[in-house]
Amino acid sequence: MIWQDPQFGNRLITMMAALVLVLQIMMVAQRWLVTNFRAFGLQSFLLASIAATIAHFNHAPQIYFVAALTLVFKAILLPLVLERLVTKIEIRQEIEPFVNIPISVIVSGLLTLLAYVVAESFHRPEEAIGPASLGHNTLAVAIALFLIGFFMMINRRKALTQVLGLLCLENGIFLAAISLTYGVPLLIELGITFDLLVAVMVLGILVYRIRETFDSMDVSKLSRLRG
Amino acid sequence: MLLAAILTVPLAAAGLSFAARKRPAMEAANLGAFAALFVLAVALVARVLRTGSISAWNGFLRSDSLSALVVLLTAFVGLICSVYAVGYFRDDERNRVFEEDILGEVTISKLRKYYTLTPLFVFSMLLVALADNLGVMWVALEATTLTSVFLVTFYGRATSLEAAWKYAIIGGVGLSMALLGTILTYYSAHNVLETETLAGLNWSVLVTHAAQFDKTTMKLAFILILLGYGTKAGIAPMHTWKPDAYSEAPVPAAAILSSATLNCALYGLVRFYILASRCLEPDYPGRLLLLFGVLSMGISVPFVLIQSNFRRLLAYHTIDHAGIMVTALGVGGPLGALGLTLHMTFHTVAKSLLFLCAGTVYQHFRTDLFRKIKSGVIRLLPFAGAVFFMATLAIVGTPPFSLFQSEFVILQAAFAGGHYLSAVLFVVFGVGIFAGAVMHVGGLVLGPAEAGTIARWYPWRDSAVLVSTAILVLMGFWLPGPVFHLIQNAGRIVAGGP
Repeated sequence: MIWQDPQFGNRLITMMAALVLVLQIMMVAQRWLVTNFRAFGLQSFLLASIAATIAHFNHAPQIYFVAALTLVFKAILLPLVLERLVTKIEIRQEIEPFVNIPISVIVSGLLTLLAYVVAESFHRPEEAIGPASLGHNTLAVAIALFLIGFFMMINRRKALTQVLGLLCLENGIFLAAISLTYGVPLLIELGITFDLLVAVMVLGILVYRIRETFDSMDVSKLSRLRG
Repeated sequence: MLLAAILTVPLAAAGLSFAARKRPAMEAANLGAFAALFVLAVALVARVLRTGSISAWNGFLRSDSLSALVVLLTAFVGLICSVYAVGYFRDDERNRVFEEDILGEVTISKLRKYYTLTPLFVFSMLLVALADNLGVMWVALEATTLTSVFLVTFYGRATSLEAAWKYAIIGGVGLSMALLGTILTYYSAHNVLETETLAGLNWSVLVTHAAQFDKTTMKLAFILILLGYGTKAGIAPMHTWKPDAYSEAPVPAAAILSSATLNCALYGLVRFYILASRCLEPDYPGRLLLLFGVLSMGISVPFVLIQSNFRRLLAYHTIDHAGIMVTALGVGGPLGALGLTLHMTFHTVAKSLLFLCAGTVYQHFRTDLFRKIKSGVIRLLPFAGAVFFMATLAIVGTPPFSLFQSEFVILQAAFAGGHYLSAVLFVVFGVGIFAGAVMHVGGLVLGPAEAGTIARWYPWRDSAVLVSTAILVLMGFWLPGPVFHLIQNAGRIVAGGP
């Protein structure tokens, strides 16, 4: 049966991880905020699918909970909340990022390369047999998401895209946890998700108030406090 | 029971304040809760001194001497600040400060925000200290940021939004690095412990097996933790949020942020330091810590020297002291660890006191710029001004105050451990900080004053300051036996003992 074959599972996960990375680079190249948030939702959906696949092939039912949690909160709820925020503040497009888009994409490529180099040091061939090794090869993608998320936060001027960068960073950490240890204990995962949700709400309120006050969402205008 | 009670009390206060409709009810809820919390913290210290570590809820909560010390300090700052806050916000209300809000939030909802968020903030700090699980500790540390962001925006000025944005974003990035570090720690222990349950991240379990953890992973994990919790502690170069957040938050909240929250972030760092020094050699985390510690001390010197705003001056001071404590941890050994726990205790008392004095000065003159007040604070505000100057002398490490002792211990440990460069830089930067702080605050407090009325005794604010001052002065000469015992035991835990 193909649904029991760990080889197949491995390929499935690798494919989804590759898509996750493609979506991430797409977000770097994309200026429309709503499209960005939808890409983020899709990325979270893929992460949930990776978690579910691992749960299936490893017969680890507790990971299904993690997958469901990710699906509900990160793939559906967060993009909805963020899209509503976009309509509320009526800013739909990122103005020029600090580094222009073609160069940003190249930087993302370089960061991905770096991620592969770092992930190499975690590679343990002796463990790479049987279903237990499922998903280990996605660590490089996880580190790449982390680094590119970081780069996005530095590169973008809009408050909301900085939030997006933070969320991508978080997705990278989630993928790292899934690929290394099949997720952290469930209670911790719940706590992390809850914190993330509150963080997005807090940041959302801040974005809204910054927009009201400064009549813009450009964080480079937040420069009165110095020294 | 005791541990659960410590966590329940602030939660209850938050609930009561949220439901309250009048200011006195909120004040009463906060004062009562923080008084009860302090009593409970003292009880916890007594228990821990008697029986060693205690745990509750199947090991979900655990307290040894180190956590008990952090809980005691947090409860102390919470109590002092809750008393101060009563006078502080009444003064704000009298002077119609709340009406400057650009979004037009009304007074009572502002007060409700403060009196609800502060107990929640304290609750999350207590959870940091009492959670045995490193994952839960991370969740709680993130919660300290989330509960305090709206304390920073309290006054609703354009600048407070800016400060809050920096605080939330830099803090968020830092904590996600710490989360990755926590997960890597879990991974490095995964093959040894072979458990998928919560126990796989319990510190008390991890510490007994730390020597067998995967070394490469642990190295990377410690770097991430250092950057992550270091951001939360505000060590350089991740310190940039600190002066903004401290100078925009209402003064009692800034006092809590600068002392108790700093302790909590360092506490998280210490827990991982213990794991890392057992897994690797103490040298590896030690060198990294020394680097960041000395850097933080160095970076704060020029900013203290040229500072034009006294609340920002205090914030740079806190960066300096975070650097001192990180250096102490990096020096390590029994003496360095003792220096760390001593300094943590003394710094908490002195720094919260300084912020409260600065708050009184700020409220009297309605500015926190040196050039607008010029000089002579002591003539118009005899009590707060005198204490402000005295506490400044204390915090820069002038004898006979206790911070001199702890800094001396750290320096001694650094020389004994052969960290000559760090020790010399420690002294050089210490002199710079001393010069900057004494020059600025001395100029502010002493000298002739412009005409004005001499302030009367402010019952709430000045009593809080008086109690704190008495403790600061007393500590210079005498530490109560049990407290010193607790500090010593905590130091032993930091140095890798039981």
